[in-house]
Amino acid sequence: MDFRIDIIIEYLPFLLKGLVLTIGLSIGGILIGSVLGFFIALGKMSKVKWLRLPFIWYINFFRGTPLLVQLFLIHFGVMPLFMSPASTIMSALTALALNAAAYVAEIFRAGIQSIDKGQEEAARSLGLSTSQSMAYVIFPQAFKRMIPPLGNEFITLLKDSSLAAIIAAPELMYWGRAASGQYFRVWEPYLTVAFTYLLLTLSITYLLNNVERRLSNT
Amino acid sequence: MIKVNNLKKKFGDLEVLKDINIQINEKEVVVVIGPSGSGKSTFLRCLNNLEEITSGDVYINDINLSGHKVNINEIRADVGMVFQQFNLFPHKTVLENITLAPIKVRKKTKQEAEEKAYKLLEKVGLVNKADAYPDSLSGGQKQRIAIARALAMDPKIMLFDEPTSALDPEMVGEVLSVMKDLAREGMTMVVVTHEMGFAREVGDRVVFMDEGYIIEEASPVTLFTSPKHERTTAFLSKVL
Repeated sequence: MDFRIDIIIEYLPFLLKGLVLTIGLSIGGILIGSVLGFFIALGKMSKVKWLRLPFIWYINFFRGTPLLVQLFLIHFGVMPLFMSPASTIMSALTALALNAAAYVAEIFRAGIQSIDKGQEEAARSLGLSTSQSMAYVIFPQAFKRMIPPLGNEFITLLKDSSLAAIIAAPELMYWGRAASGQYFRVWEPYLTVAFTYLLLTLSITYLLNNVERRLSNT
Repeated sequence: MIKVNNLKKKFGDLEVLKDINIQINEKEVVVVIGPSGSGKSTFLRCLNNLEEITSGDVYINDINLSGHKVNINEIRADVGMVFQQFNLFPHKTVLENITLAPIKVRKKTKQEAEEKAYKLLEKVGLVNKADAYPDSLSGGQKQRIAIARALAMDPKIMLFDEPTSALDPEMVGEVLSVMKDLAREGMTMVVVTHEMGFAREVGDRVVFMDEGYIIEEASPVTLFTSPKHERTTAFLSKVL
């Protein structure tokens, strides 16, 4: 079997551009997803039953349907209502962020509810308000427990961003498909793409382990 | 200082407090005793609204806790509480545990709050632990820090919910001695405890609760030596 390294070299600038977009989509997705997820988690923990419902169903929908379907709905259905033509990058980012928000919300909720009830009682008994207790007592403790699952979610999101290739958002996988299509080759482009994803996910794992170790020392 | 009228508390269908009426005066130390499940902890937690009242009224300094315009946070700031499980904040140092609420609620400067904290640490004999984290402390030390944390708010009333029940026997004394000092200084205290020695020595009044009712209340001497009710006698014969 011959391995045509020249294909990779030719596509290198495009793959690098794709890599930048992949990283951008992932970081943007997890950041927006975390902010949304935090509020969805608070909403789902509301004491008012009817207020919880929309948040519960948000999570049900985005966890219970395939991301690819969500991507199509957003790109071909929702986005055209706001812009024409619909930007593939905006659609990809929106779908990834909304999808991540559902998973992050559950991570936040589990983290917050894992903190002993006595912590909130102690904080409230000292006169701290609900939001002060959350900000100074509950959340800092919960956050430490959220880091491993949040890291997993980030890795999942990074890999899932490759689905954006199907709506032609020019990220890493898109350029892999382009190279494959042009030369009718499988191994060179897809192994390169696979190796790049692996490099990214392993780096994140390494970084997260460091963060975790540092936090457990305090 | 504290007035409770017809207080009832239900958890679902279970009525834990059936009809509680009591008045507690300034500088009084009231010790609440009774078998487990009698509702004494729930009663205590109703006094700062940690448990929502089902019906009846609780007045703290003439303010009705279930009143519409009541800022419960302001009332709680004046009512310190010490828990059986200490509930120190594990992610904060001892000093930060004590200064958090004075800074965030009382809007004291960090320096003011820390000065006060060191005075309180001296009082409970733990100045050298200011920078330690709760995990490194013994149970007795944790509870003394918890008391200091509550006192940092300059509360007018202190509630103690079985403060020595989670402690090893040799550590009970150090916590009780801090509480005795506090009583001597004239703090208004409501103490739920199984320490009959403490009740007898420090209590101005002992309240016996059973099955959601206050069965009997009297001075320690009267209650321990000549209880009026059968149930009190039966309980005392088991614990004394």
